[in-house]
Amino acid sequence: MTHSVPGAADADARASAVSDLNGTGDDAGGGVEWPLLRVAEVTTVLGGKVIVDSVSLDIWRGEVVGVVGSNGSGKTTLLKTIAGLLDAESGVVAVDGFSVVGVGSGHGGRLGFRDRARRLAYMPQRAESHPFTAFEAVLMGRYPHLGRFALEGSSDREMARAAMERTSTSEFADRKLDTLSGGERQRVVLARVLVQQADVLLMDEPTASLDLWHQMLTMDLMREETNRRGAGAIVVLHDLSLAARYCDRLVLLHKGRKIAEGTPWDVLTPENLRTAFGVEGLVEPDPVTGKPHVLLLGSHYSESSGLIGTGRTVHLICGAGSGRQLMHQLRVAGYTVTAGVLGTGDSDREAAERLGLDYVGAPPFSAITNEQHSRHLELVRAADHVVLCPMAVGINNMRNVEAALEARDLLVVEPPVSPGSETEVAGSVGDYTQGRASQLRRGLIERSGQVPEVAVLFELARAGSAATLSDR
Amino acid sequence: MAVEFANSVPTGGVPGSTVVKRLSGGALLLGSLTIMMIVVASAVGPFNIPISHTATTLLDLAGIGESTAAPTEQAIIQSIRLPRIFLAFFVGAALGISGGIMQGLFRNSMADPGIIGVSSGGATGAVFAIASGASTVSTLFLPLFAFVGSAISMTIVFLIASVGGRFSMATLLLGGIAVSSFLGAVTTATIILTDDLNVQRQIIFWIAGGVDTARWESVRIAAPIIGVGALITVFVARDLNLLLVGEDEARSLGVRVTLVRNTLLISASLITGAAVAFSGIIAFVGLVVPHVVRLAVGADHRVLLPLSALGGGLFLLVADTAARVILSPAELRVGILTAMIGAPFFVYLLVRNRSRTSML
Repeated sequence: MTHSVPGAADADARASAVSDLNGTGDDAGGGVEWPLLRVAEVTTVLGGKVIVDSVSLDIWRGEVVGVVGSNGSGKTTLLKTIAGLLDAESGVVAVDGFSVVGVGSGHGGRLGFRDRARRLAYMPQRAESHPFTAFEAVLMGRYPHLGRFALEGSSDREMARAAMERTSTSEFADRKLDTLSGGERQRVVLARVLVQQADVLLMDEPTASLDLWHQMLTMDLMREETNRRGAGAIVVLHDLSLAARYCDRLVLLHKGRKIAEGTPWDVLTPENLRTAFGVEGLVEPDPVTGKPHVLLLGSHYSESSGLIGTGRTVHLICGAGSGRQLMHQLRVAGYTVTAGVLGTGDSDREAAERLGLDYVGAPPFSAITNEQHSRHLELVRAADHVVLCPMAVGINNMRNVEAALEARDLLVVEPPVSPGSETEVAGSVGDYTQGRASQLRRGLIERSGQVPEVAVLFELARAGSAATLSDR
Repeated sequence: MAVEFANSVPTGGVPGSTVVKRLSGGALLLGSLTIMMIVVASAVGPFNIPISHTATTLLDLAGIGESTAAPTEQAIIQSIRLPRIFLAFFVGAALGISGGIMQGLFRNSMADPGIIGVSSGGATGAVFAIASGASTVSTLFLPLFAFVGSAISMTIVFLIASVGGRFSMATLLLGGIAVSSFLGAVTTATIILTDDLNVQRQIIFWIAGGVDTARWESVRIAAPIIGVGALITVFVARDLNLLLVGEDEARSLGVRVTLVRNTLLISASLITGAAVAFSGIIAFVGLVVPHVVRLAVGADHRVLLPLSALGGGLFLLVADTAARVILSPAELRVGILTAMIGAPFFVYLLVRNRSRTSML
């Protein structure tokens, strides 16, 4: 987060105005920190219904703030209110201390229409179709900078051309908007927003109709504007992982209220996902960016919607990452998943922890105790299906394989094929028990057969439907 | 028409200078055609005057040289043909520019100047003047009543659209349709219920639309209203561009949407009202002309509106001259002729441009 301190002279002149807005400012000395955009307790009422409920928000120069929330949570209404397109019932919006929404006395003054447009740019959710060419449409972004009868000059045209280059819209500069696709139109609007050179960019789902490449391009351009020009941006996004990747801060709206604000890690928690979106989700670090990545497991309504695994329990005997992927898949498919016995620091144990599974844990690198084993057996016996994963077996976890003998219905997962292997049976399981584990495993395979990992869900589904038929 | 030069504007266009280029190019073309047409229109008619006589007479009136025409010829040109020519031009210009405005405001190229009930209001006013006998008291009463009728119906439609404190373009359109239908019924009822065949004929004649009753007096009244209205719209032409892109977008780019929209609606209505008052209802000019001009020079209203005015003026002048000549010595009402030419031409445009022009 970059909290830059604006020019001291400017700050002095207008700091008192901002502090008046909500009384938090401190205008005792110079160099008071105050935001580029301050949204103070804004409430918007549409058709007698409170859509945005007393939301406050500060944006600093160079900062991108993402607004997330479910449909109807008030994201667009908040953005439109800040942009001055909807009337606020109460509250104040100020740019650099100049109020743009909600007039009160003692402020830095109210901005006129054109002044406001020079400071706040708004990119709507839907890019309208119209009979102007793309180039003409982009050039309209210069409107607030031109006098009433001034014609667009060569510098304006140069700006428009550069913006079209950046948004990869140059190729259809001379085509009319009503001949372009929705995504192409959206990029034309983005170019117009760039040309407007506003201090604050208000963008309502700027990536909504774009393909993946152009989504990244759009977000990169927005970051460029904030990093290079020191603009600030508020972006409404539906893609939470995209929001986490590009935004310094996130604001989570729910029923018009701000229910969370902070870094993506602070805001994107499983609890918040449940409250705001009604979904069960996992938040994991993205392997490339390290930013939070949201994995959706299912909705609150999964149980009534009858997923294949609803009401059935699968126990995984795994370790060292051999069961991690199946855990996720089974959870998404609606199964109740249990696991054991997993040592501390084992990646399967971390996954089980994140997924909130019922599992038996053990200290690292120690043999399974009688007590752990008996708890493990309880889980194994309680499960409708038990899946034995191809983990390496040593003396410490030998009892895990023994536990599989107690399974009501067992699936043994084939070890993955190791590339370049010359053995007849492709892939084998690490055995550090002088062959005892392999022998036991062979016995289990004789009883219940062996399936590759990709077939596990299919086999479980088949067993499940057979069970349902025999129940009748 | 001016299609060629406009469509050949180079790739990566330069709108700033393009505005000037397109506007001056279009104005030059339409202006010179109009001047040529004025000469032709002054010459032809039941009493043909040689072009050379006409030209020198017009130059003489403009303060250049001496007329070579006989005094009768000069009198015909000066007091019969010229007022009619000017009225035709101004009425056509009025319909062209207000059609352009309405199409822009409603974001629909099917909109015409009468869309919000101005024309039918004018017709009702005229019918009232004729049926009550007021039109026989003074020749100015008919246009006056028509203008008042336009203004009243426009006000009613505005009030309908503003009910509940929130102005809505959709309600304005629907209110216009409702008021037009109602006033149309009133007009028809008057025609049917009146016993006086002469009154019936006069009403039907007026509704058909024409500029044959033109006198200098009508030009002197209509031209300033139309001219001022047109001038006002030039002030807000660029704002109309942004409105066409979208109301939210216009507002976020700094346009005073309500002010601009009301200015445009009121001036378009006044312009149309003035035109209708002196010419009756002339169909299709306000629909076809801006449409053609847009195809030629694009949708930038800074170019589109002035050229629609010039184009409308020229078109009605040509049509009126044709209406005078075709059945000579009898005359066709120009409103009938514009509809007869305009409708098929419009269909032709629709079919030809179906793939590339949607403009909604």
